[in-house]
Amino acid sequence: MSEIIFKPCSLKEMWEEMPNLPESRKYMAGGTDVVTVENAGFPSAECWIDISDIPELAIVREEKDHVFIGAGVKLNDLETYPFIKKYCPALLAAVHDFASPSLRNMATLGGNAGNASPCADGVCALVSLEATIVLRKGNSERKMPLRDFFTGPKRTKLEKDELIYGFEIPKKENLLGQYFKLGPRAFFGISKVAVALSAALDGNKVKYASVAIASVAPVPLYAAKTSEYLTGKELTEDTILKAADMARGEVSPITDARSEADYRRDMSGILLERALRSLTD
Amino acid sequence: MNKEEILQADEDGMFTITLSVNGELGQMIVSRNESLVEALRHYGWKGTKKGCDTGDCGSCTVLLNDKPVLGCMMPAVAANGGNITTIEGLGTVRNPHPIQEAFVEAGAVQCGYCIPGMILSTKALLDRNPEPTEAEIRKALDGNLCRCTGYVTQVQAVNIAARKMKALKKKQEKTAAKEAEKAARRVSRKAAKKNK
Repeated sequence: MSEIIFKPCSLKEMWEEMPNLPESRKYMAGGTDVVTVENAGFPSAECWIDISDIPELAIVREEKDHVFIGAGVKLNDLETYPFIKKYCPALLAAVHDFASPSLRNMATLGGNAGNASPCADGVCALVSLEATIVLRKGNSERKMPLRDFFTGPKRTKLEKDELIYGFEIPKKENLLGQYFKLGPRAFFGISKVAVALSAALDGNKVKYASVAIASVAPVPLYAAKTSEYLTGKELTEDTILKAADMARGEVSPITDARSEADYRRDMSGILLERALRSLTD
Repeated sequence: MNKEEILQADEDGMFTITLSVNGELGQMIVSRNESLVEALRHYGWKGTKKGCDTGDCGSCTVLLNDKPVLGCMMPAVAANGGNITTIEGLGTVRNPHPIQEAFVEAGAVQCGYCIPGMILSTKALLDRNPEPTEAEIRKALDGNLCRCTGYVTQVQAVNIAARKMKALKKKQEKTAAKEAEKAARRVSRKAAKKNK
């Protein structure tokens, strides 16, 4: 197998060149997963398409009803946009807990979603923000809720050559966001469990709530029942405990190298309790 | 289509990349799965340490275009065309960088394996934020694990380094201002001569 690396400067150039590339090909953004995965013995592709120099993928902009984040934006750059702070607080909270500063200079949200690990911090936060994923292939584009994009661990609905173009996050006023992660250390670890919460309050009443939980299901989990239960409730101790129990019922964790199923289930509820309490702190 | 955008493996399956390491522009021959830290060490830049090799410890931190990245998580081919700074690019034993001096003064070095990475993370921090708070220092270094110390002396070292670099910058500015003044005087003397 003769290996090649193709590094296009624009999407147009990439789609034009695609028919001339070897059939066995895959995208590489930050490169942090590509090598790890291949060195772990997973099959390699003949051609790597290095998309790190495509300016269109590094766009972050505020639209009328949503915020758009390009798939190739480096995580550390997200902090520089005030409208991300306003409309995606859970995402910024997750970015702070995401690996380390040096890794955040390499990693992208597109890569985080494409790698499709159930423990992906960035993806979990985006699911709680009800993000839509935008996919492109040549001139055609399709969108779907990010929570429906994953089909299993490391598996997505991406078709051959389809590229993650970016994410649309609906704008919600007075949105609060939290990301509570439980890892092997306070910083810089892969989560045993993580809870992303996006919510809006009206006094003590929950006007809106959306909960996503990482590392407790085959895919980054949107806790639909818990989110629905919380919306419209007064944020009392009783509500918090009931929501935590509901979250424990929604997860389906397994025991693996990082943690045990029972512990993960229990901590899903406890992290949600902490996240909910922090809303009114 | 610009052919330079396609890198093709040679018959041995190796790629030739061009990059600048500590200001020296050169070529490296690497395999596609070779990490940047492997390649750097192979070419003699052994100040960059390889710790876990799984992106967990931060000892392989180097600067790519002035931003810290993890050498073990980056394929060397992805650094093609970039500017790398390793610990060797900061200072030498005879002529250390102020951050290196500060780490010595604070006694922040025990076994020393994590220190090149810590110093480069510190460099990136102080370049963008010359007066960081303790929280900012801890955040900037939270990807550099140290198994000898308790992360106390390193924070002190960064504070000392910040003061040193500030003093150095002031001195440099003063010298530059003096030079500019001298140059201006020379110009006006020349102009005066011409007018005569």
